[in-house]
Amino acid sequence: MRTVYFTDGTAEGFFSAVFDAYGDKGAFLTSSDAFQAALDDSFVRVPPSPEKAARVVKKLEALDRGCLWEIDCILRTPEADREQAAFLYIRLLTEHKGPVRGMLSRPEVRRARELAERVGQERHRLTGFLRFRETADGVFYAPCTPDNDVVELLMPHFAARFKTFPFVIHDLKRKLAGLCDGRNWTVVPAPEAELVLSENEDEFEALWKKYYRTVNIPSRRNIRQMKGYMPVRYWKFLPEKQDDSP
Amino acid sequence: MERKWYDKGEKTAREERGAGEGAMIDEERLKILTDGAKYDVSCSSSGSGRKNTRDGLGNASMAGICHSFTQDGRCISLLKMLMSNDCVFDCVYCPNRRSADVPRASVSPEEMCELVTGFYRRNYIEGLFLSSAVLKSPDYTMELLLETIRKLRTEYRFNGYIHLKGIPHADRALTERAAAYADRMSYNVELPSERSLRLLAPQKTKESVFAPMRQLAEEKREFALEYKRRTGKEEGRGRGKFLPAGQTTQMIVGASPETDGQILRLTQFMYRKYDLKRVYYSSYVPVVRDPLLPDVQAGLLREHRLYQADWLLRFYGFSCEEIVAEDGNLSPEYDPKCAWALRNPQFFPVEVNRAGVEELLRVPGIGAKGAYKIVAARRYAALTFEDLAKMRIVLKRAKHFITCGGKFCGAKTLERARGELILAERADGARQLSLFDGAEPLTLAASPEEKQFLLKSSPEAARAALTGQF
Repeated sequence: MRTVYFTDGTAEGFFSAVFDAYGDKGAFLTSSDAFQAALDDSFVRVPPSPEKAARVVKKLEALDRGCLWEIDCILRTPEADREQAAFLYIRLLTEHKGPVRGMLSRPEVRRARELAERVGQERHRLTGFLRFRETADGVFYAPCTPDNDVVELLMPHFAARFKTFPFVIHDLKRKLAGLCDGRNWTVVPAPEAELVLSENEDEFEALWKKYYRTVNIPSRRNIRQMKGYMPVRYWKFLPEKQDDSP
Repeated sequence: MERKWYDKGEKTAREERGAGEGAMIDEERLKILTDGAKYDVSCSSSGSGRKNTRDGLGNASMAGICHSFTQDGRCISLLKMLMSNDCVFDCVYCPNRRSADVPRASVSPEEMCELVTGFYRRNYIEGLFLSSAVLKSPDYTMELLLETIRKLRTEYRFNGYIHLKGIPHADRALTERAAAYADRMSYNVELPSERSLRLLAPQKTKESVFAPMRQLAEEKREFALEYKRRTGKEEGRGRGKFLPAGQTTQMIVGASPETDGQILRLTQFMYRKYDLKRVYYSSYVPVVRDPLLPDVQAGLLREHRLYQADWLLRFYGFSCEEIVAEDGNLSPEYDPKCAWALRNPQFFPVEVNRAGVEELLRVPGIGAKGAYKIVAARRYAALTFEDLAKMRIVLKRAKHFITCGGKFCGAKTLERARGELILAERADGARQLSLFDGAEPLTLAASPEEKQFLLKSSPEAARAALTGQF
């Protein structure tokens, strides 16, 4: 028989559930309503508790500094088993009393690393594929629809680069926006945005499209490789891919 | 009027300069100057850890970032452009040579700066790859390039990546001053032998390329030594004040008769002697018709094999003499590591659970990342073939060269193995073609402690594999 621990989907909720479920061999953690319940499952709804979460985080930090980043990444995926994957990884880590990320013959480690790497990869890709447009009041605005919840991970990267103008990274799927005024940044809920573009915008976009078309070497055409590196789902917000046949 | 969240009541840099006032380049000249620069393969924006300043624009990312990919599958990371395509040199292979009948164009330093910063703010690019035809004279051109990147760094406070292509024959002092603003510099060898150079690029000599390369390598070493004297520590990778991302070069393959062996020997010489970070190979594309040049495009397979061999030199502890077969060329049928392994069956099979990193790195089909995964995982439990498969280590080639706990599951005879390896190569050969050009595909996902462990376990090869340097 297993016990299903429902969390509210936040990191704090997750760590609180880890605290409650740790001693329970048949524990299953999830925040998803869509999971398949078995007949003999019992259910616990875990409210987030700052104290419990802090104790778990402190313990993990002592065991393996790097694991908190990995767990943060895992919880940012849309996968239904993300809480359980992170939980099993934590359990192995505490049993082993130290880092286990090299233990690739264990399925828990492989799953945890796979999910964490997926988020890391999307973050890295978007540092390249985000496109900002300048609005009439000088704010640079970049829309995106990432598979994972990566806006918060992207903000420090751009905040370090863009210090002389405000910018916004808008996740239209999750309705979240990262705002930065050139010094500090924050992530807030944001349903939609109305854009009035600056007069420079068309000119730069046209120059960029021209550049993109020119720098290609037609005799070496290799569409498959292009799509491999730059999956089509990211094309939506790339100006250079808007009127570009394949 | 109501203040917005981002409005601090201060003027933005754009307002200070006057929005839209800056000189802008037109599409026509952008096209001409891009066309002239695009056959330079180098595009990577890696190797520099340059930081932003308090009120500056941009920084550099150690791993490099690709911002887009063109239909030929190459990445766009830097804005690759010429200052001018109006050349006084007459290199036969070059579309911008003096005697060519092509439209000529130039940009001013201001126009270049406006374009770079405008593109950078929109996250189109990671920085600038600046190059030029030889306008009037080498010194005149170098001064123009220097002025452009000086302006970009000091007036526009741009701290993104700058790759500057040096002008051969320019004054030493100009070269040195330019290097102080750039992250990376390159002098292109273009043709792999003095003879071909004399024939096809009469104004260039081997010495005109190697002299600045040597100068920059020496100056970089001096800066690193000075840093060590002052602080007692080694300079961090990509953190140096002088050309943090080092130097690169490019060779055209297939326009002249050199063998792969000659090309790789020259490559190895430059890696060792001038600490080059990378050598690019560009398969010859006939943009120019001339009786001295071949009319057909050189095969992409040859370029691909050269990149594979280059990787073996830089990351896998191989020397050029080991890689090249007796006839002086690379085998078209197998990748160079496979070919080496088949010539040296006495080293195989190796036992995955005991072999050192150097040995694992020499197994065909096991890459740097795979070798690390194996070394990390076998500390906890002996590995079986099943484990390797689950760890996503591709066994198609490797299985003929390894044992797992004494078990072997490769082909019974060397002949059989040869046949299977050729089939494996044909199956994914086409897909892998030119995997390496442009993009920087190798990111090592070793965690800090894994790196530490590897460095301790086998200093030589692991260090080489992690830093790409010998």
